[in-house]
Amino acid sequence: MTSSLQTVPVGVLFSTSGPYAALGREGLAGAMLAIAEINADDQYGLKLAAQVRDPRGSTEQYAAMAADIVGTTGARHILGCTTSWSRKEVIPVLEKSATMLWYSCPYEGFEAHDQVIYLGACPNQHILPLLAFALPRFGTNGYLVGSNYIWGWETNRIARDIIEAAGGPVAGERYVPLGDVDIGRIIEEIRTKRPAFVVNTLIGPSSYAFLAAYHALGQADQTFSQDVRPVLSCNFAESEVAQLGAVAAGQYAISPYFQSLATPENRRFLDTAKQFAPDAVHISAFFAQAYAAVHLLAAGLAGAGTDATDAVREATKFVSMTAPFGPIEIDDATNHAVLTPRIARAVVGGFDIVSDMETAIRPDPYLAYSPVAVASDPAAPSPRVSHLRVIK
Amino acid sequence: MSQFKTTPKFDGQCALILHRPHPVVDAITRQLTQLGVRYQTHWPELPADLDAAAFNHLFYDADMGHDGQFPWAPGKAPMLSIALIGSEAPGRLAWAIRLGADAHLLKPIGSGGIFAALVIASQAFESRAAQAAELSDLRERLAGRQVLAEATACLMMLDNISADAAYERLRRTAMTERKSIEAMALQIVEQLRSGHVRTDRA
Repeated sequence: MTSSLQTVPVGVLFSTSGPYAALGREGLAGAMLAIAEINADDQYGLKLAAQVRDPRGSTEQYAAMAADIVGTTGARHILGCTTSWSRKEVIPVLEKSATMLWYSCPYEGFEAHDQVIYLGACPNQHILPLLAFALPRFGTNGYLVGSNYIWGWETNRIARDIIEAAGGPVAGERYVPLGDVDIGRIIEEIRTKRPAFVVNTLIGPSSYAFLAAYHALGQADQTFSQDVRPVLSCNFAESEVAQLGAVAAGQYAISPYFQSLATPENRRFLDTAKQFAPDAVHISAFFAQAYAAVHLLAAGLAGAGTDATDAVREATKFVSMTAPFGPIEIDDATNHAVLTPRIARAVVGGFDIVSDMETAIRPDPYLAYSPVAVASDPAAPSPRVSHLRVIK
Repeated sequence: MSQFKTTPKFDGQCALILHRPHPVVDAITRQLTQLGVRYQTHWPELPADLDAAAFNHLFYDADMGHDGQFPWAPGKAPMLSIALIGSEAPGRLAWAIRLGADAHLLKPIGSGGIFAALVIASQAFESRAAQAAELSDLRERLAGRQVLAEATACLMMLDNISADAAYERLRRTAMTERKSIEAMALQIVEQLRSGHVRTDRA
């Protein structure tokens, strides 16, 4: 434990190569931006010493590297992990060493660990509102495609649940091994089944290959353009849209943060980014939420006056802070963030926000309370909205 | 990928926790709250006048537990039961099984496990209840087979008809009287035994 809080070591554990490198690099950049900003001024009365490790997308590396951070640097807080596999690998290390993980990515839910703070969206904050938006607009027979691991399986299971409750049917459901780009069979099946929309839970190169092939299908046959049968995603980043160009344009994504969010707090954040990380041109939720996680950690450290995890976790729940995506609150029962989902449409170079519910949704990681169905009246408000403090 | 077509939900249900005050209980109640499950904790025993119908789940301590803590006989819990196991000594496990564990959790309990235990125990409890109902139905039918044969034989002799015709008459009478064929057979046999013979000659 650090008795004086002048400089606090914090682990930073993101993969900058491997199948989800694009998202890992964003998380790393967002965390490092916040650390640079915090160290440059005195807003929390402390400095953070980043202890960076890169597991390079290898699940087996995460536990060893987390243990190395804890054992060699004395850090009691680690920022990082992108996939749920990597988070599950790190959790036993956290438990043995009284360490806290600040996890900033959207994930499939069904977890609420005492030693993890979840900044990213869980299913009642991503796939549920995304389908509530899509089903009344495009129809109910969706096609589900995902990477062959828990994120794809579980997000698509929930999507299937909703689609079937709405009368369905699910037009098809296919999985692709992580990193695999052989998706010809899937495109052929979509061409035959003609679904109303496609839920895409693929990640990295598989996702890019799919979008390219689907775009080609849309070029060959206008009835498969994204205007008619759009692709929906819960985890697509601005940098990926920029990289893919026209191929990604037209798809819908849901996220608490988009770079195009026109709020004063986002303008301030983007100015800060320009100042401390001029190379970061495309800024996504993976970036902004890692950035917010570091600020929340710093505020928690300052509030607790120690880096002991229990004290910091409790202090975090009393922090009044505005993140780039709005006021931030950590739900006491689940350690998950209260978040406001926005839905945006990809254009060349970024996202246009098409629906901002402007209503914060309380996290429900086990879908204990959230109706897993689309309301017959899509304008009806969610019954589990938050009552956030207004922070000026 | 899964046999669950819909997401398992426990919101609004109620659990009993039979364990002495302990961090294990705190870990369980924290997770139950996340799932929307209300709870009552008891120790050293469940109240004799417990309204069992008001509860859906029982978490019971397998380390210090004994038969006398429950207002029901071992194996007869009217709700799904989850054993909380610290000691893996075979004697304790035997008792936990005899009590009717539908699932178990190993102590210490951390930040997870309750949802999985409830989902697995619900399936086990439901399939156990369905099997018990099916077994009791089959036993009843088995017991009815003898009386069915006896009633058919009686009708054959009484009316001098074939076995098929006697069975058909029995079946039609049961339908007319809105009874199961076994119940009708029993009634006919009992009437014959008491001398009041009445069959449908129509």
